[in-house]
Amino acid sequence: MFTPVTRRRDGRSPLLVAAALAMAVPGFLVSACGGQTASAQNDAVTAAGRAAAVGPAVRGRVPATARRPAAARAVRLLAQAAQAAIGTSYHGEEIVTRWSDGGGSVLVSNIWHVSGGQTVTQTMDAGASVSSQPYLSSDTDGRAPEGVLGVTAPLVRLLESHYVVAYAGGGSAGNRTAQVVEAWRADGSLAARFWLDDATKLPLEREVFDPGRHVISQDVFIDVSFASQAPVSASARTSADPPGPWSGPLSHRELLALRTRGWQVPAQLPGGLTLFTGAETEAGTGTVLDLAYADGLSVVSVFEQRGKLPAAMAGWRRTTVNGHAVFVAEPDGRSLTWSSHGMVYTVMADAPAQTVHAVVGALPHDGPTGFWKRMSRGLVRVASWVNPFH
Amino acid sequence: MSHLGERLSALVDGELSGAELDRAHAHLAACEPCRGEAAELRALKQKLRGLITGAPAEAAMTSRLIAMTGPGGPVPPRRRLLRVVPGRRPVVQASGPAYSRPGSRRSRSGGVTGRRRRYLVLGAVALVVSVGTAAFTAGGGGDEAPGPRITPPVEMYSMEHAIITGEVPYPGPAAQPSSPGPGSDSKAP
Repeated sequence: MFTPVTRRRDGRSPLLVAAALAMAVPGFLVSACGGQTASAQNDAVTAAGRAAAVGPAVRGRVPATARRPAAARAVRLLAQAAQAAIGTSYHGEEIVTRWSDGGGSVLVSNIWHVSGGQTVTQTMDAGASVSSQPYLSSDTDGRAPEGVLGVTAPLVRLLESHYVVAYAGGGSAGNRTAQVVEAWRADGSLAARFWLDDATKLPLEREVFDPGRHVISQDVFIDVSFASQAPVSASARTSADPPGPWSGPLSHRELLALRTRGWQVPAQLPGGLTLFTGAETEAGTGTVLDLAYADGLSVVSVFEQRGKLPAAMAGWRRTTVNGHAVFVAEPDGRSLTWSSHGMVYTVMADAPAQTVHAVVGALPHDGPTGFWKRMSRGLVRVASWVNPFH
Repeated sequence: MSHLGERLSALVDGELSGAELDRAHAHLAACEPCRGEAAELRALKQKLRGLITGAPAEAAMTSRLIAMTGPGGPVPPRRRLLRVVPGRRPVVQASGPAYSRPGSRRSRSGGVTGRRRRYLVLGAVALVVSVGTAAFTAGGGGDEAPGPRITPPVEMYSMEHAIITGEVPYPGPAAQPSSPGPGSDSKAP
């Protein structure tokens, strides 16, 4: 199911740099001669080319003059992609590769989706044999809209508000032609690149970069076929047909109101992450609250539940993150948990490591018991022992 | 198995009753560390009660200390030396430095005061150290947070996270095989 990976990809592939140079030089000559004939597409690609070719001071900055039309086209394409992920019937194999501090992992899944309806995800073993129970979800239960490769309508809206999106021209993903959309940070570094199917706009590939221009995740949708019906297995339908345990999405106001009931609900988290949705459910051990934060690319779910963690848990190891003792889920390190003041926090993140560390640091933790605190607690206990009226 | 934690103090204090007391006793019967801790706490508590109510040995010590504090209190005879030097008046000498000036009444009374003060200081230090040690020992274990012990249901959380992110849900930790990390030059930071 998970296979360790040991490769490292740099954000600037030689092919991209060469193509960018090939387009940037004529673009520069044209603009030097005062010509205004370059198309928006070329402007955007030229901008991207400059981003990859020039020095760090202005690396990757998309010129404002070229940004508007390219951005408008990019916004339109991303909105179509989010809609296509719901409205198109498709089947394909998704390969999700993650790089993190602790190593890397590859997840291979088969996905079937019926237009406007259910999605079945079946995770495959490295040997391509079916190894896990199918996961079936439904768009019809009022939950957050689903997407492909992280392209959902709410995340696209956040992406547009946190990043500069630009259309970067045509390309190909797998054996299909695609439209390429890029997301840039305010500091001029490339944050993500999307390949959207030319015909249906369904996302086919996504690469996410950290601020150091290293790929931290790559999602590829291969062998995609478009059909009217998805072969949803009976077992999958049976196992997941009942509505999920989580409540419908809570509004921003409802989420903030939870503070009065003792829940920790920050409106923002470090890394520009904004609280955008949440839900709650009743578990055997009490209410669980899920708070979802995102900037359009990075998504962090913070789960809260009243209680405390056991001293040790199978599948988890103790580690220190940002100076705080936490448990990390093996082996991918994607989930972190700790308890503080009677609340168990579990953070599940698709975000750069530095963002995750900052988020962990921003949430409550128990401080170390100081000498005087321990002494005062002990004195109270001793006093209670020698108190004849106790 | 979870230990008794703060309930151990309550048990030693006799604050538990009914089913809670039975559960604590049942746990003690099966848990060697908790038994040991309970024995230590009981010993500590007895000692402290002894200090307050006055155990015979401590009472004797206290009366001696009080006697020392009286004006012109007796000096233990064994520490007094009478040396007779032919042709000179007998002098009283003592082993302590306060008696280095022979024949001085002032130095004698000053020596007694110094010794008294030393006893007082030693007594105070012993008291502070005892109480401090007891408080430090009793203050360990941390604040027991209320609520149940929870192991996060990662698979359920992962499903929810996948719905929000539009991604494939990751399996929980138990379902994942271990993956050795790559070398430092082969992964993204």
